[in-house]
Amino acid sequence: MPFARLFLRFVFTWILLAGLAHAGHAAAPVRLGAINPLTGKLANHGQEIQSGIEQAVDEINQAGGLAGRPVQLLSRDDQSQPETAVNQAQDLIYREKVTALTGGYVDSLVGPISQLALKAQIPYVASASLQKDLTLGGKNPFFFRISHLDGVTEPLCRFLPKVMPGKKAAILHAATPGATEFSQVLFQCLRRAGVELPLVEKFRPGTPDFAPFLLKMRSLHAEVLISAGFFPDHLILVRQIREQNIPLAAYVGPWGIAYPEFIQQMGPAAENLLGMSAWHPDFPYPGTEEASRRFSEAFRAKYGRDPTSTVMHGYTAAKVLLEAMRTVVERGAPLDGPHIADALRAADVTLPLGRVQFDAKGDPLHYRQVVVQIQNGRLVPIYPADRAQGTWIPMTGPTN
Amino acid sequence: MWAQFLIGVLSLGFFYTLTALGFSLIFGVTHAFNLAHGELIVLSGYLAYGLMKAYGWTFWMTLPLCMLLLTGVLVAMHQVLKKVGEPFELNSLVMTFGMALIAQNVMLFFFSADYRLIPSSEAAVFSPFGRASVTETHLWTFGLSSAATAAVFLMLHHTFLGKALRATIQEREAARLAGIHVDRMKGVAFAIGGMLIGLAGPLFGRLAYLHPAGGLEATLIAIVITIFAGVGHIRSLLLGACILAALESGAALVLGTNWRELVSALILIVLLLWKPHGLLVGKRSAPEL
Amino acid sequence: MKRHPISSSAVFWAVILVLAAWPLGTAHPQLVCRVFTMAFLYAVVAMAWNLTALSGLISLGHAAYFGLGAYGAALMDHYGSGHLAATLTAGALSAGLYGALCAAVFRNLRGATFALVTLAAVEIPKVIADNWESVTYGSLGLVGIRPLPLVRLGSVAIDFGTSLTAQYYALLLLLFAGTWIHGKAIHSRWGWALRAVREDEQAAGVLGVPVHLLRWTVMTLSALLTGLCGGLYAHLHGFVEPPVVFSAHLSAIPLVLSILGGRFRWFGPALGALVLYPLDQLVLHPVLPAGHAAVYGLVIVGSVLFFPKGLGSWKK
Repeated sequence: MPFARLFLRFVFTWILLAGLAHAGHAAAPVRLGAINPLTGKLANHGQEIQSGIEQAVDEINQAGGLAGRPVQLLSRDDQSQPETAVNQAQDLIYREKVTALTGGYVDSLVGPISQLALKAQIPYVASASLQKDLTLGGKNPFFFRISHLDGVTEPLCRFLPKVMPGKKAAILHAATPGATEFSQVLFQCLRRAGVELPLVEKFRPGTPDFAPFLLKMRSLHAEVLISAGFFPDHLILVRQIREQNIPLAAYVGPWGIAYPEFIQQMGPAAENLLGMSAWHPDFPYPGTEEASRRFSEAFRAKYGRDPTSTVMHGYTAAKVLLEAMRTVVERGAPLDGPHIADALRAADVTLPLGRVQFDAKGDPLHYRQVVVQIQNGRLVPIYPADRAQGTWIPMTGPTN
Repeated sequence: MWAQFLIGVLSLGFFYTLTALGFSLIFGVTHAFNLAHGELIVLSGYLAYGLMKAYGWTFWMTLPLCMLLLTGVLVAMHQVLKKVGEPFELNSLVMTFGMALIAQNVMLFFFSADYRLIPSSEAAVFSPFGRASVTETHLWTFGLSSAATAAVFLMLHHTFLGKALRATIQEREAARLAGIHVDRMKGVAFAIGGMLIGLAGPLFGRLAYLHPAGGLEATLIAIVITIFAGVGHIRSLLLGACILAALESGAALVLGTNWRELVSALILIVLLLWKPHGLLVGKRSAPEL
Repeated sequence: MKRHPISSSAVFWAVILVLAAWPLGTAHPQLVCRVFTMAFLYAVVAMAWNLTALSGLISLGHAAYFGLGAYGAALMDHYGSGHLAATLTAGALSAGLYGALCAAVFRNLRGATFALVTLAAVEIPKVIADNWESVTYGSLGLVGIRPLPLVRLGSVAIDFGTSLTAQYYALLLLLFAGTWIHGKAIHSRWGWALRAVREDEQAAGVLGVPVHLLRWTVMTLSALLTGLCGGLYAHLHGFVEPPVVFSAHLSAIPLVLSILGGRFRWFGPALGALVLYPLDQLVLHPVLPAGHAAVYGLVIVGSVLFFPKGLGSWKK
């Protein structure tokens, strides 16, 4: 079959030529790996982080890359399973030979990747991670993260006793490590501030019915509910609160409330709920209004929707990492793990999310979230005072 | 407070019933352990959501179309499952596991990973016993679930087709000997199951939420209720679902939300040890798995 | 007898030999080692599950044993001795005890009822691990479990904790052991007794097979083996958390792998694991970051349609 042989030879030559042409390209791209939950229950947040990272990579490539070298992004799905996260991180490190890693949404997925990063000496900047133990007390010089638990609990601990003195509060948290630690820290500091907490309970994500808990809350006269669940849990819980007419002064959801999608889905039922947000197109970090506006415009043009705080976390993680890599390249040093990690430790940039600087453990020094309230279908920051654009309105009490 | 508790329990129980109804019928007649059940419910929910969003349909208008389309989907699914070799029970389990994965990812592609709710008003329609409130969603749950249960029950007990279906559930070989076209009965069961799933979907999107990966909970509910009540027993399905809902809610109220799963698991184990064939069922062999 | 067709078990042995040999011969990427290590672990879990299934009972609750094994090992490591023998024994024993208890309590249940009861039985250890905060740290999970130890054989030191190749061979050995037990459950006197129980309990009883004792032994053994794998998982990953080690996924995976590989072949479940897991992790994930699960589902559907008796039976 001469024809088949000819065809094979042609294909072979073509592949060879293509490979040579590829190798002969002026500058080899810098490879950046990202691991996020792209499918499964956490897919909506994972995809948001992913799009933020893509945006940061696009930006740097449009500006000419890292000293002329384009950045290539390799993304993987971790299916919200630690073991898949490890396998895929390994794939990125050893087969794809990435220079650095970013992304990650939940602690149980970020933790194992950070261990691998240490072993392979590859810097890893996590976009969303809370737990305190994760930094191993500074024993992992290759792990950095742009968020941590204190940035969520501290503003809340000051806000609640100050704005709603004398009110009883209940905490309901999801049975995940991050939410559990959040509720423990919050419980301690609210107790110190003199807030009475008659009811603390935990639930499994996916529970379809909160009616018994709400009945208990009503009989204990708790007026503030701190609900450390995720997006879908709020959807069910808030609806049942409205249905049962629970007399609440405030409903606080640290995760999942401050999203345009939540307001859109809940409609008027979302009115006056409290959430936490690190960034929003309407209230960027002071001094970064211009950068924020440019980011939001580019994002809307590309994805056709508004960027959220989660998108910004992904963007910030990738941005900080890429900036550190740029300084390494510009200094003429080899672009390897230890040099990038040093550059990250020395980094001090102000991005729309806030000022980013890492401490010795790789934790962010300035990460603080803002307490926001949904007022007339919009997110309004109400605490701390220097970023507030409105004041707290109590939730509508029982009408009948 | 107790009135509100009771309303909550009943609403949960009726919701469980409607979720399990289609699964129970299909499992009873065909012995297909449909692990894609929840995904199909979510799919039907997305259909209703899309119709309401895009064409401004009201909730009840979406129901017939959802039922029709899901019947089509289930009939197609039956055509594929027919080709599965022996042992059918186990192979269908693995097969539908694969189908569930495909369905999840197809939905992820078409409907994105955003959470969706079918809008409903939270205002109480009427308030018995003072502060307790019954909302429109509660009424839909009670209405749809009891109508579907009654329809299936009447169909099974007062029509010739129902008699044939029941015979197939109870003793397949004897039914075949009596001249019942068992393979056709399987197709009928899938079609009716599809209608029931189509009915459950929009309600699911109203009571819980729609997400491509959100079907697993519905599947688990359906499996638990079906076997708890006894396969093919429509009346005890409703009873079993309400009992389970009451025990779960009671556990959450007395012990705390974190013990809810443990209590329902314990009750389930004890009841199944005591009455292995279902709540209201005498001695009869459970379907082989 | 005309010709000897190459028997499928010979092919399987060839695969095993290649798997054993290639890390020695090639400049291997660590990644493949790691993925196959996990594939071996799942192969053993699948075979352990199949032990129960061979006696005619389909369990939907092997996650309970896996999680108990992981928690047993982790708690022993945290509170007691960190020696590997101690932790793995603790893991396997806690799972084995629970398995023995389940086997005794559920001895009269069959079919779908048994499947449901095992599904519910996962909740008991899971909720306890989730809520007994003073001991298990509840939902926070246990972190910092020691990695596998460094073993000295004369002058050679093998570090099972960091060397992926060492882990690979350790798990390969476990796979051999598991396959041997699984093979015995099919091709031995004991295996024939199991088959008799599966096909007709009463007839088996009449023939003098101790039906209840046999079922109890095989379920306990299955739980022990699964618990051992759970303990190893805890050491390999360094942390345990209730939703991770008691996940419903862990109950479904051995079932899918066994049925795809062929439930009645001594190498069936292992074959399923060695084909499906690496295919998913090494090929589908990198090629389709977002759509891999759909292709994985298609592979499952296709193999059930075309190999109804499992991949292991393409040649009779």
